[in-house]
Amino acid sequence: MMGTSDTYLIRPNHQEKFKPAVVKECIREVVRERLTGVRYDDEEVRQLSTTLADSIKDRVKKAGFDRYKLTVQVVIGEQRGQGVKMSTRCFWDADTDSYAEDVFITENLFCVVVVFGSYYY
Amino acid sequence: MEEYNSGEEILFNSDEATAPIKECIEGVIGGTDYNQNKINQWTASIVERCLNHFVKQGRAFKYIVNCTIMQKSSAGLHTANSCYWDTATDGSCTVRWENRTMYCVVSVFAVAVA
Repeated sequence: MMGTSDTYLIRPNHQEKFKPAVVKECIREVVRERLTGVRYDDEEVRQLSTTLADSIKDRVKKAGFDRYKLTVQVVIGEQRGQGVKMSTRCFWDADTDSYAEDVFITENLFCVVVVFGSYYY
Repeated sequence: MEEYNSGEEILFNSDEATAPIKECIEGVIGGTDYNQNKINQWTASIVERCLNHFVKQGRAFKYIVNCTIMQKSSAGLHTANSCYWDTATDGSCTVRWENRTMYCVVSVFAVAVA
């Protein structure tokens, strides 16, 4: 499943580590590109959320975190002044695993994207 | 040398996971109405309860538990996930719950450790 070399490694080396800042940039670019000027429309957002999740996953894969399993979650909602709260807890290896998130809010929609990276020993 | 999982299957069963997650949600926000002051506490409790439940099973997985609570207004909400993992062993489970004043969506992702 993972790349062919270095399967004896049980910790990522410095270059290979999941870098939240880099991933956050990836998320930011894709979201701003796809969602600027978009109005909330039920059918369209249904499609958009799945394609957005796939694009972000592909983008992050290209960024080169080879030994990491990725989970991308996209939440898009209509903005009508209601209250929303999202929280996450993870049970993982804090030395190797991490996450990156970004929130994008416009006049009529909000979009939260979280990418979790978990190291595959 | 003893194998870590003698006979235990490494596969996340998403159907079996829905019932305990629902119980965790009901246990925390079961009979309540949306309350801005308590929502931090609620989401934290739901997420911790779910996580503890899965961790107690003692299986070789890393878990990510996510909970979103939204006040009921006429607004819509969509959630989507895309995952790059080993489909033979890893899995996720998403549970939607609602009452008169709010919606709650909980997602659990389980990633196998080697």
